[in-house]
Amino acid sequence: MDLTGAFGARSAAVGACREPPGLESLHLGGGDGGFTALLELPPTQAVELLHFTDPSPSSSQAAVAGVGLDVSPPPPPLHAYGALTFPSNAALMERAARFSVMANEQQNGNVSGETTTTSSVPSNSDRVKTEPGETDSSQRLENNRCGIGKRKELDKKVKGSTKKKSKSSEENEKLPYVHVRARRGQATDSHSLAERARREKINARMKLLQELVPGCDKIQGTALVLDEIINHVQSLQRQVEMLSMRLAAVNPRVDFNLDTLLASENGSLMDGSFNGTAMQLAWPHQVTETEQSFHHRQLQLQQPPQPQQWPYDGLIQPAWGREDDQGHGNEHNSLMAVSENLMVGSASLHPNQVKMEL
Amino acid sequence: MASADKPINTDVPEKDVFTLHFLQSLSNLRRQNTFNSPEKTNDRVKKIKKAAYVSMARAAGGTNRLWSRALLRRAAKENSKVVRFPRRKKRVTCLRRRRSNRRDPVEEEEAERLRNLVPGGGGMETSKLMEETAHYIKCLSMQVKVMQCLVDGLAPK
Repeated sequence: MDLTGAFGARSAAVGACREPPGLESLHLGGGDGGFTALLELPPTQAVELLHFTDPSPSSSQAAVAGVGLDVSPPPPPLHAYGALTFPSNAALMERAARFSVMANEQQNGNVSGETTTTSSVPSNSDRVKTEPGETDSSQRLENNRCGIGKRKELDKKVKGSTKKKSKSSEENEKLPYVHVRARRGQATDSHSLAERARREKINARMKLLQELVPGCDKIQGTALVLDEIINHVQSLQRQVEMLSMRLAAVNPRVDFNLDTLLASENGSLMDGSFNGTAMQLAWPHQVTETEQSFHHRQLQLQQPPQPQQWPYDGLIQPAWGREDDQGHGNEHNSLMAVSENLMVGSASLHPNQVKMEL
Repeated sequence: MASADKPINTDVPEKDVFTLHFLQSLSNLRRQNTFNSPEKTNDRVKKIKKAAYVSMARAAGGTNRLWSRALLRRAAKENSKVVRFPRRKKRVTCLRRRRSNRRDPVEEEEAERLRNLVPGGGGMETSKLMEETAHYIKCLSMQVKVMQCLVDGLAPK
């Protein structure tokens, strides 16, 4: 809205005065007292601006131009004071949002005599970040809130310190010590400050947990989210228990299955290694044979992986790659074959071998 | 005094690491001659479960995580082994309970339940507890996936 931008520009020239009733009709649809109080400018300025097609004397032009405001687009068409329409152009909105930020700054800066730093700009823009594309009224409301919030912050009056959002968690994480500004109405003793920082830490981690647990982002309130998390952990633990039961049931039968599986799937593979492996399944304590078969496989590692041969990587990688699909059949066969080989092998050879292809 | 932390790290190694550890432990189990007898199914189940958890703890970051440390210590105690963990620079501090009126009674109750679930949760502050829980959940789901694949692969056709 060019209006607010121009207001901000003009604040330098004008002191605060009460609003004449003329502006009442200008109710811009937003908060009643808030917006007009925010302006702190005589609405006569507003009226002037509304009349001028070429608003502003050169000073405000310069100030505004410095900010980047392009005042050249003509002011919005006025039907009447009461029915002021603003352009709902998205680009103008965005610009206006930025300028409302600037306007607030300049205005507040003049009020308190502080020079505003750029650090407060990003914080404000964070607050108005939903500006672009919003409707007029909501934007004006946002301006209201920004203005009021800023003024309340100023009330705390920390001299010379950079203004930081008291809720800036991202700043918290960068600095070793958190400079937390107390908001209005909150105690400033060290206990509450520390408590608030701790709260923020907990909330950050709660957000992390919410992303992990499926279906938790819709729930509001920490208690229910925690409930959900606890249920999830319990269900996972129960799943592990059930799967271990199934594994225990399956395990003794492994020998029988594997012989057939290995024979069927890897018929064309080198017989020596497979016979060795098959024997290992039946008699796991024969370690020497295993080492031979491992050496066989290590030799084969040099060769390019082909489905006919027994390349270690060829088996492992498709297994890993397809595990995600939870597909049955080939990959599980290969996974199981690999697993059986691992099972019977000596522990020392595993890391070396696996490192070669992992 | 409020201290900020770096971005929370809950990375978990890939499936291969988990599988490798798990299979190693399973093969160790199979070497025991009394393992495959059909009468002692319950024992087997318990051993497999313990092997699963221990291998998960080792795979998921060894001694870098509080919960894995507690798990390993617990397992070693059952086997009456003495486990030594390398001393870290920071000691695990005692529970600091600040007296403050912003303590949520509901939240504390939930935190208690979480502490009972997550291994090693007794000595942690709430924020640390949540970090550990996140990592624990990731590792648990990874372990479940691995075991599911194994079971499917080994299932009778």
